[in-house]
Amino acid sequence: MTTGTRTEDQTRAEVRRAARALLREPLLRGGGRTADDFRLVRQHARELREWFDRNTGWGLHVDSETARLRKTPGAPDDATHPARETGGARLPFTRRRYVLLCLALAVLERSENQIALGRLAEQVVLEAADPALAEAGISFTLEERSERGDLVAVVRLLTRLGVIALVAGDDEDYLRSTGDALYDVRRRVLAGLLAGGVGPSTVAAGTDGDRLAALTADPVLESMDSADLRNRRLRHTLTRRLIDDPVLYYGTLTEEESAYLASQRTAITSRITELTGLVAEARAEGIAMVDPDDDLTDVRMPEKGTHGHVTLLLAEYLASGPPRPVPRAELEEQVRGFARQYGGHWSKTAKEPGAEAELVHRAVEKLEALALVRTATEADGTRSVRALPALARFAVGAAVVRGGSATDPTDEQEPRR
Amino acid sequence: MSADRAPSAAPESASGSASVDYQPFAHLTAPNAELYRAIMGVFVAEKERFTVHLRPEDVHRLLPADPGVDADDTVKALDRLAEWGNLRPDPDTGRVTAVEDFYRRRYIYQLTRAGEAAEEALAAYDSGLGRRGSLQSVALADIAARLRELLAWADPASDAAEPDPALVHRALRDLAGRFGELADNARAFMGSLQRTIDLHDAEVEAFLAYKDRLIDYLERFIADLITTGSEIARLLSDLERTGPSGARAVDPLLTAAADREAADTLPGEEQGADDAARAAALAEWHRRWDGLRGWFLSAPDHEPQAKLLRSAARSAIPQLLAVVAALNERRSGRSDRSADFRVLARWFAEAPDDASRHRLWRSAFGLHPARHLTVDSETLQAREDEPETATTPWDRARPVHISPQLRRTGQYERRGRPRKVADRSAERRRLAEHARKQAEETAAARARLDTGGRIRLSDVAELDPAAFGLFLGLLGDALAHWAYDSRETSTTSNDGGLRIRMRALGDGATAEIATPDGVFRGPDHIVEITDLEGRAATP
Repeated sequence: MTTGTRTEDQTRAEVRRAARALLREPLLRGGGRTADDFRLVRQHARELREWFDRNTGWGLHVDSETARLRKTPGAPDDATHPARETGGARLPFTRRRYVLLCLALAVLERSENQIALGRLAEQVVLEAADPALAEAGISFTLEERSERGDLVAVVRLLTRLGVIALVAGDDEDYLRSTGDALYDVRRRVLAGLLAGGVGPSTVAAGTDGDRLAALTADPVLESMDSADLRNRRLRHTLTRRLIDDPVLYYGTLTEEESAYLASQRTAITSRITELTGLVAEARAEGIAMVDPDDDLTDVRMPEKGTHGHVTLLLAEYLASGPPRPVPRAELEEQVRGFARQYGGHWSKTAKEPGAEAELVHRAVEKLEALALVRTATEADGTRSVRALPALARFAVGAAVVRGGSATDPTDEQEPRR
Repeated sequence: MSADRAPSAAPESASGSASVDYQPFAHLTAPNAELYRAIMGVFVAEKERFTVHLRPEDVHRLLPADPGVDADDTVKALDRLAEWGNLRPDPDTGRVTAVEDFYRRRYIYQLTRAGEAAEEALAAYDSGLGRRGSLQSVALADIAARLRELLAWADPASDAAEPDPALVHRALRDLAGRFGELADNARAFMGSLQRTIDLHDAEVEAFLAYKDRLIDYLERFIADLITTGSEIARLLSDLERTGPSGARAVDPLLTAAADREAADTLPGEEQGADDAARAAALAEWHRRWDGLRGWFLSAPDHEPQAKLLRSAARSAIPQLLAVVAALNERRSGRSDRSADFRVLARWFAEAPDDASRHRLWRSAFGLHPARHLTVDSETLQAREDEPETATTPWDRARPVHISPQLRRTGQYERRGRPRKVADRSAERRRLAEHARKQAEETAAARARLDTGGRIRLSDVAELDPAAFGLFLGLLGDALAHWAYDSRETSTTSNDGGLRIRMRALGDGATAEIATPDGVFRGPDHIVEITDLEGRAATP
């Protein structure tokens, strides 16, 4: 009896780890870095598949080499998840890189099981001769070093995703035009790369927003209409947003979604808690599924280090006043003040004059990614930052250090405002 | 253009100066270049029919139909060309039948040498540029046929005693000519093939129409190159074979051809000029022969050209097919993953800004990690103790706990502190020391218990606490194993370190063992205790 319970607990813990691994990295491979996670997912594939299918409508595909959770976002209007280069400054992809990435994938899809970077480049140039691309003002010759640099960035991302694997040579050599590199093409990974159930080539929509909507649509659910299916669609959308995004503000929901969430909130959040260990932080303005284990995220807050510190200090500053658009210049001024006060703990480059703009930029980017602030360009052209309700989590609390009565809630609220 | 300019501008001097300043090419860049070229084309075509002089009206009649050119324009153009030195005007002495014709300036025109050379150069230029390149299986067959002919003459066993030098010369010249064409064409072919495959500004329809024939053609050529090519290679090796005199079979033929060529040259004034000409001709033939051999036979330091050509032609086919597939897919709009990626590429290109591209990336690929705010256990605990309702606004709820340390320095722990927690080496050392000492004590106790043979229990007399503890355990084991009606027993201690044999004496004697804690009494026995580990360790 006791051993039975322990196994059940163990299974529960393993399923949780597997689910978290998939949410963190929706494409896991049987070899290398993700091998352990893959094994867990494979072991509990049935349970996970059922859960995701029922609650989010995301397909989980598991074969002998890959596990892929086809995550489509609940809210497609979030621009804070760019593809990033794998090394260096991890800059977001540019227009050319995105286009190159897709062309490279189109080529790989048709290629043999191995491909040399030089050959890939040739074929990409051929693909890029498509008049539609030329019309959009894109052309590639891959003769300039900067263009080859873009291709190498793409190839590195593909390598990290596991679509291709280096066999011989070095992409640096290709970059310098002194050599070439050879790659294996992993068909299974490639096959699972697109997330949506709708192939982009079947979408006729001409505008940006329609295209996104078409990509994230569920053709099966859309095609039928019944109260049951409508509820299912609502559940999927809401669960997707809760399980994937930091904060779900009620203000962003449709009337239908609000009504459904109001009646199903506890059911939905507790199912998520059971699967992932995330805890619901339900407030008047919205819900955040917060993570006690602090590893189910790509953006951390609070975080140690200079940038983390600046972000925290700015968050406290923004949370301290009544909500208003705060110009970036004001934040930069604040950072100059912080530098005087805390600079001793900061990295050297952060203390150099003129570093404020970059510090503010990184901090705001982070806060925006966590749905804690919103940036906008005001009518007069200044760029400003506006606090969102959940930012208040990071307001300076009661005098935890100096005062003794930190546990008294009345004591705690007064000095903040 | 001036009509009054002396048309008799010395033709010879015009052509003479043209050879220096390339005047005969001037018409190419002049306005009306097309007309000039058309007129020159008429002269070249007529020359092939051995017509030397042309009247302006003939030229006008022979020009390709063009309503924009009247007779006067033609005359003016002819004069310009005469000025540049391409044509030579001569007074027309023929009869006329109308008065006005008599008063009109009358000339007839013919090509100058400079004009003719310019036309030849332009023809070569055009054909060089326009050449798409073709591979000639026919040329291969011709080459093989000529080689067979040569081999027949070279064969000493053949009954034809001495080959006719004229025939040999002609065969070799033909061979060299065909081969030269083949090599030129191959070179042009490789170039044009690459242009076709690159297809940067694809003339899609033309390409698709062309590709089947091209692939067909390539396959046929590869087949021919393999069969005929190997025959040629065999013939070449036969002709290369050295005879009893040490000379190659082909050498006399080359010499014969060179002799005949040398005979054609003008006789020189000096003695030995003939020999020099012969040697030069022979060297030339040797070079051509080497070229031919290099094409079809491999040498240690290079692959035969034919083989390179074959592999180029062969690898061209899959490349062509790839282009065809790409074009077809692009046109057909078929939905597969490759098409999906192509459409996405276009969407990314057309998206208005970076933000929409990032959104597209996330929606289409869904490779983004989940993103969540964190909560620490202290905050969680506080919430459990004093729950906040779901209607509490965020700014009325307790904020998350943030360590004052982090808030002040941006670091979680004071520097250097974590080491203190991690270091347990002292404890580990102490434990290890303890374990080692215990093991030593046990070993010593065992050694003391070892009786070294059978003794009476009463002879043991005295034991220290450690040894006595062991002895009690051993005795317990032995008694536990004692069968009901047996007089003796034998057992090994639980840890396998000691063996004991006991036999009851039954004489009523009592054994006493003294220990520091008291005296152990019991019926006397014969015992033999062996320290198995100690014995195993010492020998």
